[in-house]
Parts: sequence; C-alpha cells; structure tokens
Amino acid sequence: MRSAAGARTELVVAVGVLTLGLFALVTALSLPSSGGYSGIGPNAIPIAVASGLAVVGVWLLIEALTGGWRARTSDHPEERGEHAFHAPAFAWVTAGLFAQMALMHTAGFVLAAALLFACVARGFGSVRPVRDGTIGVVLGLAVFLFFVKFLNVGLPAGWLRPVLGGAGI
Amino acid sequence: MTETLDALLSGFAIALTPTNLLWGFVGVTLGTAVGVLPGVGPALTVAMLLPLTVKLDPTGALIMFAGIYYGAMYGGSTTTILLNTPGESASIATALEGNKMAKRGRAGPALATAAIGSFVAGSISVVLLTLLAPIVVEVALRFSPADYFALMVFAFVTVAAVLGSSTVRGLTTLFIGLLLGLVGIDETTGQMRFAFGVPELLDGIDVVVLAVGLFAVGEALYGAAYQSRVKEKIERLSGSLMMTRDDWRRSWPAWLRATGIGFPFGTIPAGGAEIPTFLSYAVEKKFSKHPEEFGHGAIEGVAGPEAANNASSTGVLVPLLTLGIPTSATAAILLAAFQNYGIQPGPLLFQTQGALVWGLIASLYIGNVLLLILNLPLIGLWVKVLAIPKPWLYGGILIFATLGAYSLHQSVIDLVTLYVFGLLGFAMRRWGFPVAPAVIGLILGPLAETQFRRALSISQGDPSVFFTSPISASLLALTAALIVVPWIVRLSRRKTQPTA
Repeated sequence: MRSAAGARTELVVAVGVLTLGLFALVTALSLPSSGGYSGIGPNAIPIAVASGLAVVGVWLLIEALTGGWRARTSDHPEERGEHAFHAPAFAWVTAGLFAQMALMHTAGFVLAAALLFACVARGFGSVRPVRDGTIGVVLGLAVFLFFVKFLNVGLPAGWLRPVLGGAGI
Repeated sequence: MTETLDALLSGFAIALTPTNLLWGFVGVTLGTAVGVLPGVGPALTVAMLLPLTVKLDPTGALIMFAGIYYGAMYGGSTTTILLNTPGESASIATALEGNKMAKRGRAGPALATAAIGSFVAGSISVVLLTLLAPIVVEVALRFSPADYFALMVFAFVTVAAVLGSSTVRGLTTLFIGLLLGLVGIDETTGQMRFAFGVPELLDGIDVVVLAVGLFAVGEALYGAAYQSRVKEKIERLSGSLMMTRDDWRRSWPAWLRATGIGFPFGTIPAGGAEIPTFLSYAVEKKFSKHPEEFGHGAIEGVAGPEAANNASSTGVLVPLLTLGIPTSATAAILLAAFQNYGIQPGPLLFQTQGALVWGLIASLYIGNVLLLILNLPLIGLWVKVLAIPKPWLYGGILIFATLGAYSLHQSVIDLVTLYVFGLLGFAMRRWGFPVAPAVIGLILGPLAETQFRRALSISQGDPSVFFTSPISASLLALTAALIVVPWIVRLSRRKTQPTA
C-alpha cells in the first residue's frame, strides 16, 4: 500500500527529474554544434543524455500517476526493519558536517574532525559527548600525523599549530 | 600459452618484491576490515584512498586497491553470518543459511566454509582470468571505436536497466551519472559544458566526491535517520571452527559448482554478484541430499553463494582489465585509479603496461592465500572489529570520507559538494534508486563519448558505422532487446488476461 505522503513524494521526485532533464536539454541546445570530421559537435551527447533524463522523468511521472512506482521501497519503516525518520539524528550528522566545513580553515583539521566525530556519534545515539570528543581528537590527530608527516599531504593545523609545530599548512 | 606463463612469472617477480607484498597485505587487511564493517564497502574505501594516488607508485597502489576489492568479499561473509545484516546485495543469499547456522551454534563451520570456499573459488577464478585475459585481448585489439561504443552502451543498459528492481529508476541514476560526467571542459573541442561559469566545475565532477558522497555521507544520513535506534544482535562465535568430515563432503561440490556459475557471470557486462549468488543458492537447494535443511542452516547454502560471490568478483576484472569496461561501482572506481596515473585499461594495457598488469594479476594469487590466513586463524580479531559501536564507526567513516574529499584540492567547496551528493545518496537509498549506475555513468560516460565521436570521425559523420560493423550491430541489437522484450512480455500478458 502506498500512503498519501508516499504518492506525493513520487510525484515530486518525478517532476524533479523531468525538470532537471528539461533544464539540461535547454543548456545543451545552447552549445555549439560544429564538429569537424565527425559531423557532431560537443552538443550531441549532452542533448542525448538530457533527453534521456527527461524521458525517464516522464516515465517516473506516468508510473506515479498510474498506481505508483513499480517495485517500490516500502513507505512503512517497520516493513524495512527500520524505525521512523528520526529528525534529530539526521540533524546531528548534518550539523557535524557543517561544523567541520566552518572550522576546517580556522580551528584546523584535528579539532574540526573531533567535533564532526562527536556530532555524528551523538546522531547515532551516543550520550557521552566528552568521551566521543576525546576519541575524535585522538583519531583526528593520528590521521593528521600520518598524512602530514608520512604522506606529505598538507592539512590545516589551525589553532593547534603551536602544539603541532610547523606541520601542515 | 608459454607466453602467458612467462608473463605471469615475471608478474610474480613484481608482486613478490617486499614493497608490493606489503601493499598487497595492507590492501587485503583493509579489505577484510571494510568487508566486516557494516556501512563501509570496497567502492567507498577505494574512493576515499584515491587522492593518495598522487603520492604512491602505480603498481603498489593498484595492488593495494585490488586487495581491498576482493578482501571485502571475504570479510563480508563474517558480518552476514554473525549479524544477519548483509552489507551488500551479493551477501543476501549467504544470509539465508549462514545466520541460521550461527543461531544453531554452528557459526564456526559456516565461517570456515565461507572462507575456504572463497579461497577455492577465488584461486580457480584467478587461473581462469590468467588464461582468458590474453584471449580477450586478442579479440579486443580488433575492436573499432564503434564496437567499443556499442559495448559501453550494452554495459550501461545491463547495469542500469536489467539489474535491480526497477528499470526506470536504474536508468534515472545512470542518466544523472552521465550528465555529471559531461560537466567541465570538453576534451575534444575545449568547449565548456554545464559549468555555468563556476571555476570549480571546469575540471569536472571528481569521482571521489561523488562516490564518497553517495556511499559514505548518504549512508551515514540514512543510517542515523532510519537505523540508529535499531538494536542488533551479534551471534557469538562459540565452539570449533573445524568443519566435520560431513561438512567437507557437502561443501566442496558446492564450491566448484558456484565457481562455474560465478565466474562467467562476472565476465559478461552484467556486473554485480547478486544474480550468480542467488543462482548458486537455488542450484544447491536443488542438488542437495538434505533439501529439508534449507531455511534452517544448510551448509551448502553458505558454501555455494560465498564461492559464487568471489568467483564473480574476480570475473569482473576480465572486462575491466582487457576492455576497460567496469561493470560494478568498485570496478568503476578502480578504473578511475588507473586513469589517475594516465593509464587506460583495455587491450593495449597488456602491451604498454605488461609489468603492471601481470604484477597485479600475480598479486591476486598471493592475496587469496593471505586472505585465507587472515580469515580463518585470525577470525576472532574480525569478530571484535564487528563489535565497534555504531556511533564511533560512523564518526570514523565520516572523518575519513571528508578527509578524502578535502585532500583533493584542500578546498572546503569540495566538502559542500560532498554534502550535496550525500543528500542525493540519502534520497536514492530511501526511494530505492541504485547507486552503482551513477558512478559507472560518471566514469564510463566520457569514455563512451570519446569512442562515439572517434567512430564518427573515421566514418566522416556517417552514423551507419554503428550498424555495419557486425560486433557493434549485434551488441546494439542485444541492448535494444534487453529493454524491449520485457515490455512486450508484459503487454502480451496483459492482453491474454481478461480485463475485469
């Protein structure tokens, strides 16, 4: 059985794919078509791919409007052996990734990685942020030293530069 | 024949140097670990390590990546048997009997038949690869660009439309992957395509960001949202690992039959080990003298699928190395690793990079032996790895995932793109869109376009070239049949049924 929300999502996804296909098609059609000996230019394959995407968008739309997508993934989490969408968990993982983006070039790789680790652990149900953060620092530090000292890959040292010395970038 | 033997022997000379032996060992150990860990697969692991190719020598790096690739097949069985959550579709068949055996206190023999079966199937398959590769190369050297293009189209359609539960959803992700592959500067004409003036897009979408975003970030978001509060039960590994005389008697024919099923399935561009593992399961059920045990922990039901899984994953290397056609997500990322070194897998690889490719093949023989040792006497270690709490596991995965994307250009922009692809991966997972066609489309798409334009350049713009070459024409006809026949069958079935 398909829930009302599930039916709506299928329509949204189908329209989204179709829109992306049409947008790509318009962009592809504006590309030059001169192609030398082959007679086809840099626009040929883009037009074909964009048209293909638009066609599958229509196909998804037809399936969604005629009884729903075939062989669909169940809308009921328990049928998939899972629990209902847990928004805070999703938000914690997202927050960790955004915190890392924000801190990478200020606090440096190690601290950004530690915060990411703690946030993700929190998202997966851990309730001991201090312990998780400590593990994150140790893991981040190990990765940092391996990459910077052993592989010569530059990673930002950030606020830990006084401790880590001239390592990193 | 003697030429092949000579080439293989010189390959062993390369694979057995201390450095390459070490890379092989690192690869199979890492592979087993990521196979054991739920949520991490070989495609993701190799993708995260791709930025390292700048620092490593090609032979060592590719030996390590190949080790990760088939090491993961060994490790995956441990998780499936003890945890009953198959890490990938290829392990579902094993889960049917393996976890039942573990519940009955027979985890030891189940793990043993999986590991030894993987070794037997893997070793026979590497021999088959050694013998078959030079023959395929001979044939492939005669392929024209039109033939290559047709072969790639065939691979796209089988991977996207034939495998998986829904043709249209497979094609959707394939076209998204192809579209992402077009972003950037066109190599032939220098024309900017789909870059919208954004300088970061001129070089195109990096496979590391796409694959790591879809697999790691998407998987972490999905796992947190839908699975983080589910309690899992790990079966204890109690008692002996030893297989009884009866276990051996029932296992070895299954290993051999499964090798015969798995290897050919791997070599045709119909990638993925899902079909051969289920086929092997069905065959064992039919041939078994104890069909009543199936569903309650029949050892043949573990021995067969696990061997088929390994045989087919080795088979996948035949089209990858000899034709340059990847038929699974991991194979596509391995292809990207070759490309990072400016090497294009294909028939010419055996001539221009003979030392590298035969060293790689020889390393597979060595790797199978290493994996047997790693997965039998040391199995207790991997059971401990399996017990890593999920919060730390996913925290660690995301540290390495973001590290892989960040170290490409030392740029936070890549982390933003990574998150966007993570959201895409989350949505694809939730609504049942397969990930592999997107990755294969991104990597193989640009190669297909090059062959297409080359073919038309040679024919001076005459499109009939795709239908006058017998190889190209038959491949394209076969491709069309794969899409059209299921439709006709469905329509005719609807007609014969009375409309109520």
